Amino acid sequence: MKYSCRKVVRLFFYGIVTCITIVFLLGIVNLVFLGIGFLIYQDMETYYISGGDVMEALTVTDDGYVLEDEMIQMFENRNQWAMLLDRDGKVIWSIKKPDELQDFYTQADIARMSKWYLQGYPVHQRVWDDRIMIVGLQKDTQWKYTVEFPISWMNFVKKVWLYLVLNNFILILILAFLAARRFTKKREEARIEWIAGISHDIRTPLSIVMGYADTMERSSELSEEARQQAAVIRHQSMVIKDLIADLNLTFQLEDSMQPLRKEKVRPAQVLRSVTASVLNDTPEEEIDISLEIAQEAEQITLYADRKLLVRAFRNLINNSVKHSGKTDAVKVRISLWKEKRRCFIRFQDDGAGYPQETLRRLKKRKKDAAAQDIRGLGIVKKIVLAHGGRIRFGNDEKGGSDCLIIFFGNK
Amino acid sequence: MNLFDYKILLVDDEGTLREMVVGFLRQAGFHQVVEAESCRAAEKMFAAQAPHLILLDVMLPDGDGFTLLRRLRENSEIPVIFLSARDEDENRLRGLGLGADDYITKPFLPEKLILRVKAVLKRVYRAKETREEETIVLGDCVVDLGSGVVHWNKKEESAADTEVSLTAKEYAVLQKLSQERGRIVTIDALCDAVWQEGNYGYENTLVVHIRRLREKIEEDPSHPRYLLTVRGLGYRLV
Repeated sequence: MKYSCRKVVRLFFYGIVTCITIVFLLGIVNLVFLGIGFLIYQDMETYYISGGDVMEALTVTDDGYVLEDEMIQMFENRNQWAMLLDRDGKVIWSIKKPDELQDFYTQADIARMSKWYLQGYPVHQRVWDDRIMIVGLQKDTQWKYTVEFPISWMNFVKKVWLYLVLNNFILILILAFLAARRFTKKREEARIEWIAGISHDIRTPLSIVMGYADTMERSSELSEEARQQAAVIRHQSMVIKDLIADLNLTFQLEDSMQPLRKEKVRPAQVLRSVTASVLNDTPEEEIDISLEIAQEAEQITLYADRKLLVRAFRNLINNSVKHSGKTDAVKVRISLWKEKRRCFIRFQDDGAGYPQETLRRLKKRKKDAAAQDIRGLGIVKKIVLAHGGRIRFGNDEKGGSDCLIIFFGNK
Repeated sequence: MNLFDYKILLVDDEGTLREMVVGFLRQAGFHQVVEAESCRAAEKMFAAQAPHLILLDVMLPDGDGFTLLRRLRENSEIPVIFLSARDEDENRLRGLGLGADDYITKPFLPEKLILRVKAVLKRVYRAKETREEETIVLGDCVVDLGSGVVHWNKKEESAADTEVSLTAKEYAVLQKLSQERGRIVTIDALCDAVWQEGNYGYENTLVVHIRRLREKIEEDPSHPRYLLTVRGLGYRLV
């Protein structure tokens, strides 16, 4: 599969859009999920009452420590407990303290509970002067874990986190790009397959129509009028045949699915052969072609698909004949010359020229080139571009059409 | 054996198309035409009828023509012309050395089909027939393509002077032109016919051969009446 720059950009654009969509969708899904979780679990909220708050609500009186009513209510509501240890580890005050807990704690006990649990109770400590306020929850209500990292590792993470995020983004982008390519490729393949199938199915019946029409056209038993009608049928069948060929070619060139069958081609030879075959097949009163090939252009070789070049040149000549607007023969002048490594081919005629609308459409880069009225010329343009050439359509000073093609040759 | 005595086997799954093509072939003079609608029927017919040429559709209900050709080629050299309805087939036919003698893309005109059939038959079986019969008549001059001798029907000259032999190159040029009689043949096509493909730079030599040829077949070589130059393109035999 061949990619033009424009195609890659387009695929990347699809990739980015897909990527953003995926991230956005994932975000939404996660948010919704977490939101639902929050709604379900919010009334089980068991977070610690702050030890600092407890201490502020605690006043020393002659009878010992007294806690404000509001704070007492809070302990009731949240089903938490608290105790205050003095410097020796003795409990000097407590509220709702579970019965199983003792009244005295060694340094080892304190060290252990500060990191883990106190006999299965999750606890927080707050140091107040030489005392320690311990606020606890009920058993099996809170999970805790202590996290530690080497400083060097944290420094490293600080340095690279941005790249990590970027890496992830690029990875997603690439994945999205691959997915998009796969998807478009499949779709294009199916479309081309379909077109090929249809044109195949049309060709066999068309052979029969053309064949019999041709026989009738030649039959001496039929009236002149009937023969004329047969000729029209045959001619129109040829038109359909060309349309099918155009259709196939358009898709082939547009989607770059079928590679060009490139070989060494001499444009001089192709031009002669096309001109001769047009002259052989067209009545003299319709066309007069003069072909001028510069001596030095005789040897130019291009690396090109011969069949497509023939097609392009033929389309240009046919266009001159079809749209000449003249009653007598249209004069077509074809010239081939070279400048340095560039090969110039010019088609001019003395007909009515290209209509402005056609020229406007041909200038557009869009797929509009497949539009009905410029189909033949659109294919010419596509063929030239597919060979890396340039093409310019215009009208000369006398009003006739003037088409210049430039190829970049081997020699 | 006469050209029209050769037996042709037509393989296509579309009955109407077979009927039409058989009609064309009969009309053109080929009186021995047999048909088959599938690969299997074709193989049977091939064994039973021993045809001289096969017109073979690429897409058949029980396989494709390429495979059938490969099977037939295992023990036969029979010439085959493909009938194809897809552009991709054309690519394969051009690209692979399948050993097909020619191919025709649908839709085609009967005239074209008959021409191809005749051309292949002549090329493959030429040793046995028709070549001797071929002559080109150019006014008073008759060229026998079998022997490559030009005869002049002029009473006043002696018999020895009225016969001229063509050289191999002149013969090739004249043969090519007569095959396309009335049509323009490009310089390149003539060079291909004379020096095989891939040769260029022979244009000047070709001009020399054309001049010598004119001296042999034209009454007035500097004002040719039959072998005409088409400026910038090539030549035409009228």
